[in-house]
Amino acid sequence: MKGLAAIYRRELAGLFLAPLAWILLLVVLFYQAYFFLLVLSNPSRGPEVNEALSLVLGGGYPFWLLLLTLAPLLTMRMISEESRSGLLEFLLTAPVADGAVVVGKAMAATTFLALAWSSAFLFGLLVQFLGAPPDWGQLFTAWLGASLASGLFCALGLVSSALFSTPLLAAFMAILANIAMFALPPLVRSLHGPAGALLAQVLERIDVFRHFQGSFQAGVLDSAHVIFFLAWTAAALFLAVRVVESRRWLG
Amino acid sequence: MIDVQHLSRRFGPHLAVDDISFRLERGEVVGFLGPNGAGKTTTMRMLTGFLPPSGGTVRVDGFDVLKDSLAVRARIGYLPESVPLYRELRVQEMLWFQGRLRGLSRAEARRRTGVVLERVGLAERARSLIGCLSKGQRQRVGLAVALLPEPEVLVLDEPTSGLDPLQRLEVRALIRELSKERTVLLSSHILPEIEATCPRVIILQRGHIAADGTQTELVARLGGGGFVRLELARPVELERARTDLAALSGVHSVEAQLLADGNAACEVRGEGDLRGALGALAHARGWTVRELSWQRPTLEKLFTHIAFELEHEHPAGSVRAAPPSAEGAA
Ligand SMILES: Nc1ncnc2c1ncn2[C@@H]1O[C@H](COP(=O)(O)OP(=O)(O)O)[C@@H](O)[C@H]1O
Ligand SMILES: [Mg+2]
Repeated sequence: MKGLAAIYRRELAGLFLAPLAWILLLVVLFYQAYFFLLVLSNPSRGPEVNEALSLVLGGGYPFWLLLLTLAPLLTMRMISEESRSGLLEFLLTAPVADGAVVVGKAMAATTFLALAWSSAFLFGLLVQFLGAPPDWGQLFTAWLGASLASGLFCALGLVSSALFSTPLLAAFMAILANIAMFALPPLVRSLHGPAGALLAQVLERIDVFRHFQGSFQAGVLDSAHVIFFLAWTAAALFLAVRVVESRRWLG
Repeated sequence: MIDVQHLSRRFGPHLAVDDISFRLERGEVVGFLGPNGAGKTTTMRMLTGFLPPSGGTVRVDGFDVLKDSLAVRARIGYLPESVPLYRELRVQEMLWFQGRLRGLSRAEARRRTGVVLERVGLAERARSLIGCLSKGQRQRVGLAVALLPEPEVLVLDEPTSGLDPLQRLEVRALIRELSKERTVLLSSHILPEIEATCPRVIILQRGHIAADGTQTELVARLGGGGFVRLELARPVELERARTDLAALSGVHSVEAQLLADGNAACEVRGEGDLRGALGALAHARGWTVRELSWQRPTLEKLFTHIAFELEHEHPAGSVRAAPPSAEGAA
């Protein structure tokens, strides 16, 4: 546990010491502010505060596009580059379990994203100050869901970082995989016929977007959905650890 | 303290380490010597638990490196060849991180950071960014990182590479000092490094142990590696001098030749340092002595001999160690 905490702290510090993280943070802020204001100032329907807030926290494609690219960019270097520079050799010969190394890295990246998503609270404060108090419960639930989903995609990013030897390739492949995972269920649902139905049933189990909409976005904290995200995150982390271990065998 | 049995490692079809066995007792200082690609790094990576062996076992303090990996790792301070450091951290932050990884309390980590930085001579650079340090300074930070947990075993892969001659001397002195308290295994492809620091040497050649023993044992095995050099001023009766020298008791062989300037140079081999007897003979014969010196036997001869011999006799990859190895010395 001490080892895990040490790795987590180091990785988080590493993220904030790199310029990339600050650039990404700014991008998130501007991007979210743009869509927030876009909905808020919708002339046809008038200001809809809660809708605007939910949009920046998982309620629409802009958020997911952001998450699907940010998570790979944050995690791309964590294993591939450290494997090259030898830092992985340092970490994996320290008296810390391989799992703790991988989980510490995933937690650091997830914390970073959770922090980025909390910009929604700023928007909330802003509209509260302007006299249109948001639904704070719903906002918090959405933020929690966004952070859980971030954990899953960071774990997947780490799998890619462990699989591929250069950070950019790792990020590229992870983004591709994320988009496939995100876009496949709705695509398949639109198919007809028995094969499509079967496939749809299978894909239902990994349909992140639906699970998100089903609960967090609606402001309901449903343990089944929390478990959905945690279970898939754990599976991805397990896979990442196995890939790291198999890298040792390959040398 | 370290017990390696029949250790092998392959990378695809390539055998990087081929069935090596050796033991290190507590407090021993052993040098791994071998040309580039001999398998030194691969062996050290298996000892530290980074690479799983393809075959054989490694035990450190009784713990198996595969089964009790964490126990083994907790006992080893390791300086990898690539000297991995977080360039964006400051020197002291890197060391504190190592302290946390090893489960040290904050106060203890800070205390030891001061101690090890003092030891490697970097106390005044504690706040420098690692990325801004020179190669030699980073090498010493790496050493400090390996020392911080005060491990029972130190595994140092090429600890003096990238250092200037003065720093080399300092690091050698440091290693000699450490060797009083710890078991040390260090590697180098540079012979004088090993000669200066390690009483015992293991010579690796293409993944095999080509020789294992103390420097004196190995040199003795080389057989008459040392000789007395005697240079006589002209005029010299070369044949006469040769027979006289050869007739001395204890002399095994004499090589004598006239140099271009007319003086004669002799290499006298026999039982050790025969300078006294040779000096007395020269005095009795009335020779004018220009030089009388004892040329110490060196590992270098053995090293080149082994490397050369094996390359020649076995062009293929399947080489068995020629001189007796681990079992003989243990
Ligand atoms: N990760 C690896 N993948 C493939 N081959 C490797 C790897 N590491 C080392 N080797 C090979 O193993 C042999 C021994 O390498 P190494 O242990 O680094 O030698 P040394 O440290 O003595 O210079 C070399 O022929 C090298 O090419
Ligand atoms: Mg090496």
